[in-house]
Amino acid sequence: MNTLPETYRRPLFPRGPGLGLRAFLLILASLALVFNDTRGDSLASLRSGLSLMLTPVVWLASLPSSVLNAAGDISTRETLERENGELKEKQLLLEARLQKMDALEAENRRIRELLASAARIQDEVLIAEIIAINQDPYRNQITLNKGRSHGVYRGQALVDAYGVLGQIVSVGRDRSKALLITDPDHGVPIEVNRTGMQTIAVGGGDARGLRLPFLPSNADIQVGDLLVSSALGGRFPAGYPVGTVYELRHVAGEHFMEAYASPAAHLNQGRQALLVWSEDFRLDEPDDSIAGADEDLEDRPADPSSPAETGGDTAATPDGDAPASAPQVVP
Amino acid sequence: MTDLRALYLGFLSSVLVALVFQLVELPDLLAAARPMWAPLILAYWALREPRISTLLPAFLVGLAMDVLFGSPLGQHALGLIVVVYLVERLRGIFILFPLWQATIALLPAWAIYSFIMFWIDGATHHEANTLLRWLPVLSTTLFWPLLFSVMELLRQPTEDE
Repeated sequence: MNTLPETYRRPLFPRGPGLGLRAFLLILASLALVFNDTRGDSLASLRSGLSLMLTPVVWLASLPSSVLNAAGDISTRETLERENGELKEKQLLLEARLQKMDALEAENRRIRELLASAARIQDEVLIAEIIAINQDPYRNQITLNKGRSHGVYRGQALVDAYGVLGQIVSVGRDRSKALLITDPDHGVPIEVNRTGMQTIAVGGGDARGLRLPFLPSNADIQVGDLLVSSALGGRFPAGYPVGTVYELRHVAGEHFMEAYASPAAHLNQGRQALLVWSEDFRLDEPDDSIAGADEDLEDRPADPSSPAETGGDTAATPDGDAPASAPQVVP
Repeated sequence: MTDLRALYLGFLSSVLVALVFQLVELPDLLAAARPMWAPLILAYWALREPRISTLLPAFLVGLAMDVLFGSPLGQHALGLIVVVYLVERLRGIFILFPLWQATIALLPAWAIYSFIMFWIDGATHHEANTLLRWLPVLSTTLFWPLLFSVMELLRQPTEDE
């Protein structure tokens, strides 16, 4: 069993570097890669090239679940009828609720106009399909089927029907990757709905949901408090639910207390997510469209536009319909 | 010569299958206990087949896994290289063991792999400090006899030729 076949002949004097040296060199190479990758963006092109090459593997791995889904879609006439009835009832209920919402929204708009506030009531949104979930249980990431060609940008907020889901961390041409709010790397500025207290909710992994560290020990926060997103930082649109507090923990001898919250969004359910354009997204991204417009203005020989005018022009681009028209601004 | 070609083909396809197994969606509870397929299959080849050098493939598979999981490039590569180096270095001892003894003897290799993952995650500030992290070490150990026997069965006909 353990003999070597006839065709194999071990060279009497093996050439090339030995096993230990090769392993050592490869270990050095991978350590250098880790170091470079965590320090900067220099390996981004290598990563995207490799991920393109690995697309067939991802497709293969997603086959079993899509087959299962397809099998789940086959349903009998009976279940369809029952589902139809349930949906009709639900729609009636929701319509009734919607009418109330309309009235509330109108009232809200009137009050906002009174306050001359710039906050928009209706955020612009785009529905994206969740096409992949990171299978590593310690990285909460999802992949969406919308990318740069749809106007998606890095740092864009992501919500579902129940609350804030996360934000976009990398954008490809036709797909993008989002970090969920429960990822340990993620933090979201929040406001306690009852008191208006501002703080930050950090991801605590799948098991713990959200963590609110470093609260003053006399902070007015209770179990059951609703946390909503705050506009501080400009990433997230204000007022979307983020989570509900389920535990407060005083650490003996510390000046701070910690609160734990369960996320409002249904993180591991559903196949769609909403991409939201918050109003000042142009501030924190180096917008290609504006840069392009600038160059164009300066390139024009007939128009000796001064830098001040250029600045004025870009500032004057209408903010309201920016996301929808952003790709069209580029000439 | 054709024998060698079949060997490389088998090697490549088994590594691909391992990658796919690593990615297939599992329910949350099972996903935490998912055996580490890539180290398993690479350790098998390193142990059983002296004609193939597994080091460079381990590096490439590791890079592929880093891209697939979005971890820092080189993290999985480092772990796989260390495992393959250990197994290939100690092949002379391991090959003499009966299957059950090899199963236990390989446990430290899986533990080292898990520790490297844990360590680099910590070093790159991506800490997720749960005990569940060490569960794959156990499941990988349990899967070794299965994988070993299945691979031996699959390779039987080609070896007879």
